[in-house]
Order: sequence, then C-alpha cells, then structure tokens
Amino acid sequence: MLNYVLKRLLGLIPTLLIVAVLVFLFVHLLPGDPARLAAGPEADEATVQLVRQDLGLDKPLHIQFVTYFGNALQGEFGKSLRTKRPVSQEIAERFLPTFWLTLASMGWSVLFGMGIGIVSAVWRNRWPDRLGMTLAVSGISFPAFALGMLFMQVFSVQLGWLPSMGADSWKHYILPSLTLGAAVAAVMARFTRASFVEIMQEDFVRTARAKGVSEPVVVLKHCLRNAMIPVVTMMGLQFGFLLGGSIVVEVVYNWPGMGRLLVDAVDMRDYPIIQAEVLLFSLEFILINLIVDVLYAVINPTIHYK
Amino acid sequence: MKSSNRLLGFRHLLIAGSLAAASLSTPAFAAKDVVLAVASTFTTLDPYDANDTLSMAVAKSFYQGLYGFDKDLKLGPVLAESHTVSKDGLTYTIKLKSGIKFHDGTAFDAAAVKANFDRVTNPDNKLKRYTMFNRIAKTEVVDAHTVKFTLKEPFSPFINVLAHPSGVIISPAALQKYGKDIAFNPVGTGPFVFQEWKQTDYVKVKKFDGYWKTGLPKVDSLTWKPVVDNNTRATVMQTGEASFAFSMPFEQAEQLKQNPKVDVIAGPSIIARYLSMNTKQKPFDNVKVRQAINYAINKEALAKVAFSGYAVPAEGVVPAGVEYAEKFGAWPYDPAKAKQLLAEAGYPNGFETTLWSAYNHSTAQKVIQFAQQQLAQVGIKAQIQALEAGQRVERVESQPNPDTAPVRMYYIGWSSSTGEADWALRPLLASEAFPPKLLNTAYYKNELVDTNIAKALNTTDAAEKEKLYKAAQKQIWEDAPWAFLVTEKLLYARAKNLSGIYVMPDGSFNYDDIDVK
Repeated sequence: MLNYVLKRLLGLIPTLLIVAVLVFLFVHLLPGDPARLAAGPEADEATVQLVRQDLGLDKPLHIQFVTYFGNALQGEFGKSLRTKRPVSQEIAERFLPTFWLTLASMGWSVLFGMGIGIVSAVWRNRWPDRLGMTLAVSGISFPAFALGMLFMQVFSVQLGWLPSMGADSWKHYILPSLTLGAAVAAVMARFTRASFVEIMQEDFVRTARAKGVSEPVVVLKHCLRNAMIPVVTMMGLQFGFLLGGSIVVEVVYNWPGMGRLLVDAVDMRDYPIIQAEVLLFSLEFILINLIVDVLYAVINPTIHYK
Repeated sequence: MKSSNRLLGFRHLLIAGSLAAASLSTPAFAAKDVVLAVASTFTTLDPYDANDTLSMAVAKSFYQGLYGFDKDLKLGPVLAESHTVSKDGLTYTIKLKSGIKFHDGTAFDAAAVKANFDRVTNPDNKLKRYTMFNRIAKTEVVDAHTVKFTLKEPFSPFINVLAHPSGVIISPAALQKYGKDIAFNPVGTGPFVFQEWKQTDYVKVKKFDGYWKTGLPKVDSLTWKPVVDNNTRATVMQTGEASFAFSMPFEQAEQLKQNPKVDVIAGPSIIARYLSMNTKQKPFDNVKVRQAINYAINKEALAKVAFSGYAVPAEGVVPAGVEYAEKFGAWPYDPAKAKQLLAEAGYPNGFETTLWSAYNHSTAQKVIQFAQQQLAQVGIKAQIQALEAGQRVERVESQPNPDTAPVRMYYIGWSSSTGEADWALRPLLASEAFPPKLLNTAYYKNELVDTNIAKALNTTDAAEKEKLYKAAQKQIWEDAPWAFLVTEKLLYARAKNLSGIYVMPDGSFNYDDIDVK
C-alpha cells in the first residue's frame, strides 16, 4: 500500500512538469500585451516601457521561461504583476477560505445527495423517488450564479437571516456552500440511486432479507457499503469540480478565495498568478484521485494495490 | 402590468427584509463605522503607481495633494496656500499651509514636497505616473513653507496635474523607512490613518485625531470593500451590509429605489462615449461619411435603450464639466440627411464595415447592437464585436503602424482625469497620439487642432487658452472623426443615514464631510 502511494506520488512529477510547460506557453500566447494592460488605458508608450522593464517582460521568452522554472523549483512563483506581492503569499491567503468552502459544500452534497439517492432507490418509482429525481435534475440544470442570486434575494434581502458577502463567520458559509454543492448533490443523488438499485437486486441482499434481517439494516449495512465504490469515485471527481466551480460562486458571494483571484488575474493578465493557480488546481486533482484510489481499499478490503 | 404588480408585492418583502437585516447587522451605535462597496479590487495604495481611479479614490482616505478637486470637480488648494507662475510659464512658486503633520508625526513642509516629486520624476523608480510628472525639471525648497517647481517646457495645466489624485504628498520619513513597500504602509496627511489592507477583502482606515481640519472627520472608520459582482453590490445595499456602493448597474436602479433606506443617485460625469472612425481608411476618409454616421444614430434613443436613461446625448467634443469644454448642442438625428450625405460621398447603397467595442460588458454590447441597427437603416452593414481586454490591447492599442491598423469603427469612452481640456483632447485627437503612443483611434490629424493643443499648453493666459481650445473643438466637431454619442451619468447608491460622500464627475470619490446620522 505504502509503496503504491509513493509510486503514485513520484508519478506526479512528470505530469506537473508537462502542465507547467503548457501553462507557461498558453498564458504567453493569449492575445494582449500584459505590460500595456497593467499600465492602464491612460498610459502612453513611455510608461508602458517602464512597466515592461519593471515586470521583467522585456526579456526574451526563453529567458523568462528559464527564470520561471528555476524559481518554481524552489517553490517561488514570482511576484504578482498587479499587486507586486509574492504569488505564494497571494495564494496562501486565499487557499483556506476556498478549501473550507469546498469542504462545506462537499459535506452538504454528500448528506443530501446520498440521502436522496438512498430514499429514491428504496422507494423506487414511487413518489419519494419522483420527487428526489426532480430535485436532482433541477440541481444539475440550475446554474450556480443564478442559484446564488436567488438564495441571496430570499435569505439575505427578504428574510435577512444570512449575510450575503464575505467569509467572516460560520453564517457566511451557509449560502455559498449550499449554492456550490447543489449541482454536486444532484449528481451524487443520481449516482447513489443507480448504484443502489443494482445492489438491491444482488443475491446477498435477498439472502440477508431471507435471514430476517430488518430492512433498515439491510439497506444501511449490506447495501450502502457495496454501493459506495462508484459513489466515492464520483465524490473525488466532484471535489475537483467544486474547487474549480467555486470560481463563479466566489464572485457572486464576494468570497475572498482563489476563484476570485483567478478571475482578477485573467482580467489583468497577471501571468504569475494564473500559472501558479492552474498548477495548483492540477495538483489538487491528481492528489484527490490518489486519495480516492486509497479509499477504495478502505471501503472494500478485497481490493489490493501492488 | 403584470410585472409591476409583482414588483409591488416584492417591495413589501424587500422592506421587511432590509429592516430585519439592518437590525441584525447594526453594531453599537456609538462607533461610526462605514462600509463602502466598490466595483473592483484595488491595485495599489501608492497613488504614484496606480492607474485606476478607484485605487486613487481610496487613497484619498489617507493622502492629500497640494491641490485637489471638490465634488463638482472645481479645483482648489488643499495643502497649498497659493501659487504664482513666472511670465514664461516655466516656474511655479507654491506657498504651503503650515502647522500640518503627517500621521507619523513628521511635519509637512517644502522638503516633504520635494522628496515626493523627486521620487516620481526619477525614472529608476519605475512609477506608473512617471510621465504625468516628468515635465518637472527640478523641485527646490525656497524656505520651509515655499517650494519652487521648474518645468522643462511651459505646461499650462500644471496646477491641474498637481490636483490629480495621484499627486499626493507622502510622509518623507515613511518613504525613507518603507521604500518600495510604501504601497503597503501609506502615511499621509489625510483625515484617516491607514489601519489594515487585507488584500483579499478590504482596506480599513480609522479616524486621524491630529487631522489639520478641526472637527473632521466625523466618522470613526471606513472600510473599503471590493464587491466585484454587480448584483451582489446591489444586494449588500439592500441588506445594509454596506452603506455606499459604486457603481450601480443601471438595471438594478429601479428595484433599489424602492428601498426606503437607500438613495439611488445619478450624478453628472465627464465620461464621453463615442465611436471613433479610422480616418486613414476608406470610406471614413470622407468627412461626409463621418457626418452621415453622426446623423444616422439617434442618441436620445441610445441613452434610453443602452443606458436605461442614465446618459445624455453628447453636446460637444469635450463633456461639460471639463475646463474649457465647448458646447455645440447634440448632433441632430436625421436619417434622410445621412442617406443624402452618403450618396454625395459616393456610397448611395452604403457599405460594409466593422464596429468594435473596447469593452465586453452588457452596456457596451447594447450600444454596439443599437448602433448596428441604426447604421443598417441608412445602408451601412457593420459587423460588431465586443473585444475582451487582451484582444483590445492587441488589435487596437499596440498596433505599430497607423497605415495598416485594422480598427475601423471603435466604441470607447474617456474621462479627462485632470479635469482639463488638454487631457481630453491631446491623447485622443492630436496626431502625436496615434496608437501605440496614446489613443487617437480615429487616426485624426488636423494642423489647426495640433497647433492649438500645443499652443494652449504653452500659454498661461486663460482667455487665450479658451480661444485656442474653442477653435480646436469647433474644427473637430465639423470634421467629425467620431460619432459623438453620449455623456454617461454615474449611478451610485448611498444609505439615507449616510451623508457627505459623493461620486465626482471623473468617477473618483469626495468624502471630506462623510457623516452618519
């Protein structure tokens, strides 16, 4: 097991290198001169030149590339073109709000998603199922920014129960995490249901019932554990999706996280920030996948890794 | 009808909601803390290195200049007492107010002024406002409260430049202590002391007890919060989480007006919106075509459709409110005349062209769509495209060769940040300002305009300047290198219990007298 994890971690390095190269090239191929963008619309050419030197963008591309990689290997991703603060600091300040938000919405979506999924599977094709699946389809089809605005209108403006911006207390987490988690909860509900329906027709479930095991135990003990494998896979993928999906939600709720930072950075062509963030997102995806693989073994002891 | 009924019901809910929110979120009444929601993130707190109006507006909390603008963009002395100009327009001697202290206790004097202008005029410091001040040859201390600027060439709007929100006086001791990090540790003479800049969230300032204007400021602290999303900015006004918000999307204005605790204010602006036409290229090299396009667009309707009524038709080249602006009256809407002019120019059946917008927000999209429809009425088929910032820089602003620049019709806006005609004309219509140098996207070149703009810079006589600028604007209006569209209004929301804060016509803020009831 440990060997497997180590091997996977080593396998990370080439993947990240490729991503880093792609991101570097891609970002520099975007249209628009970052020095001019940073200098602002009122700037004349002399000012743009000053800004270009200041940001080190006057050097040839390959030199910038070498500098970038040299620094990246030491964990230093340069300075933000916009604020002139180290990228690592900019990101570090925003990582935790985004991470907690993601975790909170993951919590909601697992709770709601699996709940609805199990209920739908147990009362298959009856009204709880219909209701649950209607909710799920709505959850998938409702875009996050619209849901966010709706929540804000109802809970912040009309009822006045919850704050609509910032991340200062636990109250601030409720609306954004619900908004962010809605789509994932919906996907989760459908997956759980499908997986559950299949498991409930297995022989061992019939055997359990025949032995006189009570229905709740059958559902929660025998079926749930077996139905978990595809659900956990899904959870992993969705976690990555949540980290990325938080971009929209963070803008709507004025969340001081990485998503908003990325939007600002793209707007201002803040290359170092974009590069570091995309790299970080890729790293997160890979790590999550690794965790999911390990979780398989925990859920189903018959799975072994070599 | 149906929607208005729904709105009525909605209104009651809104009232109930905002009352509840206010009672929840109002802290102890004694401390007067004001939260102000603004539309974008601050780039820096060093005004000399800022290129956005917002960062400089926020910096006014703790910084002041020798001169400044009031809420109506009238120029007046702030830290300066008075000034005299030499006959040749090269030396400005400025008397300073005495008895003023910086937040760190350093005395404000001529040496402090010199330290600041020596800093910005040194190109090694690579400050973004370098070119704004690089006409200063030297700054000299005459005595403790008199400072003398010597310019490289006569530059008549020099006092306007000193009044620009970037021209502030930073504590020389702090400059020494923090160096490049002054942007994170601002120390000035302003009404508020910098407290905290949480990059992700807000800038917080608190009352400066030693402020030189006695009795001010009247509030204990200000929190500047960037709220990027339009709807969210409107929402936080309704919930009472903020008591000032700028800018307000036009679409939200009606709904927000229903809220009994909020005033929605439409202030005048000096933001001119226009379509520039590339005069180097056919068919826009023909003045009749350009005039025809001016006749073809109904500006009244445009203001209603795209700006929800929060704009007025342009009445001149330079919007009213800018010094030396000349008023000609809105260009009449007359499609028949437009067709006739097109026929005279040799395009009886119109032509095909492209119309780009410098922005891709929804208002700009509406403007170019509306213009496209209006042009189609007189036979001009325009392909429209709203450029994203990067595309704009690539296709328009950094084009090296004026003769091959691909821009044809181009929708953009401008506000003269010095409040003076020079900065409203020279960067946009002088032939020295072709991209990539500045923004003459019409590639307009006219002898008279060029000479008058240059001459006006050299004269210190106001009457003479007025004459020169008048002639230049008249020439431009007749040559019509632009389709003169509208002057925007600035829409902002202010809680009813908040007073003394205004959005100035240039989009900056004035909050010397800010107070909470």
